[in-house]
Parts: sequence; C-alpha cells; structure tokens
Amino acid sequence: MLASLPYELPELVTTAPLDTHRSTVLKEWVDWNGHMNVAFYVTAFDQASGAFMRNIGLGRRYVDGKLGMTFVLETHVTYDRELREGAPLRFTTQLVARDAKRVHLYHEMFHADQGYLAATNEVIVMNIDYATRRSAPYPKPVQERLDILWPLHAALPKPAKVGRVMGLGKK
Amino acid sequence: MRRSASLRSRRMKLPPYPMIELDPAAPLDLHRATVLPEWIDWNGHMNVGYYVVAFDKATDTLCQQFGCGWEYTRDKIGMTFVLEAHVTYDREVKEGDPLRITTQILDHDAKRLHYIHCMYHATEGYLAATNELMLMNIDYETRRAAPWPDWAMARIEQMAAAHKALPVPPQAGRLIGIKRKK
Repeated sequence: MLASLPYELPELVTTAPLDTHRSTVLKEWVDWNGHMNVAFYVTAFDQASGAFMRNIGLGRRYVDGKLGMTFVLETHVTYDRELREGAPLRFTTQLVARDAKRVHLYHEMFHADQGYLAATNEVIVMNIDYATRRSAPYPKPVQERLDILWPLHAALPKPAKVGRVMGLGKK
Repeated sequence: MRRSASLRSRRMKLPPYPMIELDPAAPLDLHRATVLPEWIDWNGHMNVGYYVVAFDKATDTLCQQFGCGWEYTRDKIGMTFVLEAHVTYDREVKEGDPLRITTQILDHDAKRLHYIHCMYHATEGYLAATNELMLMNIDYETRRAAPWPDWAMARIEQMAAAHKALPVPPQAGRLIGIKRKK
C-alpha cells in the first residue's frame, strides 16, 4: 500500500450524495433513434465515477504519475428516459459499499433543467497497481478519505434501484 | 386501451425490405469487430463505454436476424430501446485486438427480449466481457412500447427455442456487489 501520494489532494467534498458532476449530451453520443445511445450513458457515468475518484485523490495525476489506475469490474445500467442532443445532465453519486481495494458506487443521471431521472448506474471500481497491473489496496490518504465519506454515505437510504437482477418479471 | 391494431407494424405481415436468412447457430456467432484507436483510454485499454458500443453493434446483428435492424427504423416502422444493461469486464483488450461476440437469447415476451452477449478475443480465445440486456420493441410513431411485429416474433421464437438448450452463462442474472471472502 502506498503510504502517501506525491501530489496535493483537492479539497474533500463531503456532501452525500456527491452532487458535483455536470455534463451535456454531445452530438456524437446520439444514434439513429435520435437519442443518446446506450453506450454513451456508460461513458457519461464513467466520467461521474471519475469525479468521485478525483474527490478521493485518484485523478489523472494518479495515472500520469504511474502510481495506479482504477478499473471497472462490473456495471449495471437502467435506462429510464430518453435524452436528446444538447441536454444538460446532472449526476449524484452514492458510495454503497467499499473494501480495501474496491468501491461500489450508485449514480443517478438527471436532466439538469427538467429534473427527470434519465438513468441509474451501479458500478464496482477496483484499485490497480500501475506496475503489476493487478488489484492493490488504496493508497493510505485515499483510505483516509473513504473513512471520512463512508459514514456520511452509509446514513443515506438505500436507493430502490440498487441490487437489481434482470428479468422479465412475468405476471 | 388496445391501440396495437392501429400500429403500422401490426398491419404488416412482412417487412417492406428483404429479411436475411436466419442463422440457426446457438448461440448466434456472427458478430466480429476490431478494437479501434478511439476506443482506448488513458489506461491504455478499451474504455468501459466502448465495450458497450461494441456490444450494441452486436445487438444490431441480432436484430437483423429477426428483421428489426437499421431498415426497421429507416422505414419508420419501429425502433428497439434498451431498458437495462449489465456488463462484466473480465479481461482487458487493446487497440487492434480482434473481437468475436456470441449472443444467447434467455427469455422473451410480446414486447421484450432478454439476452446475453459474450465478447471473446477472436484469436487468443479468452472471454473479455459479457453484456446482459433487456430490449424493448418501440413503435416509431408513438415512440412507446409495442408488440414485436409478426415476422420478428416468429423468428424470435425460433431462435429462443434453439437457444433454450444452451447452459445459461454464469454472468447472467448477476447481482452487483462487493463479495466479501468468508
């Protein structure tokens, strides 16, 4: 485990859920159905995961400094409503679970002006050692930040869409 | 309210374009792709979003089998919308890697299709990722859920019957979470 990081960490945002990430539906994200394509919801959510990671000290400098990386192991998306080109997006992120190497995040994507829920995403992200390209415990300053965030997020109600198993649910 | 009788797709016995011959293979093993340079991220491997781009193209290959591919939307008959997706990222793939994607139908009803794609490195053979999906048929005009057209339903049933004998991949029906070792 890395005992320290060779760069200054950003000021920790302790709001739970995290509500800092904003984005816009890009032209190249739209498909022949005239709405944001399924894959680019995942791209947009991945950027929201990036915002969470930066907040705990794992931004671009973590990779550029050849210290480590973060890999997604698994993701689950619900597509709740369509989004058109140019739609402004707002994301909230809740830390659902964590251990020494992984976080389980739950994102909600909203149309930023109209307020409706467009999609949800659960994701498991693993910390990776840069040299071995294998899983490794979080650096100490990151663990300390997760220790601060965890009780604040654990106090939130469990979202209804967490832990879904796919199926037709026939009546 | 019954409105399906008024839908254009329900009045058609056959699509106004030729349907390809049905591939009887189970699972469907048609889709091939290559990892493009623009699919690579700062970690030097295919980015999580582009696995889904690749899988979504495999969904197009599947939908062509039952006559609901690009022409279905071009001719303003219908569309197919994904309701839910689950991806497992099993191993990295790099720029230029050849991909082979197989598709297995798990379940279906009058309007929906539940299936799973498996992505393999085409020459090394390893499993790179899986993608379980719930797809809904959409009427072009109302932009709402609608029953599959007759021609599509006939083929979906044929494929589902052939795929029923296959073992269900362990990645299907997964509950996401951090599994703690006992």
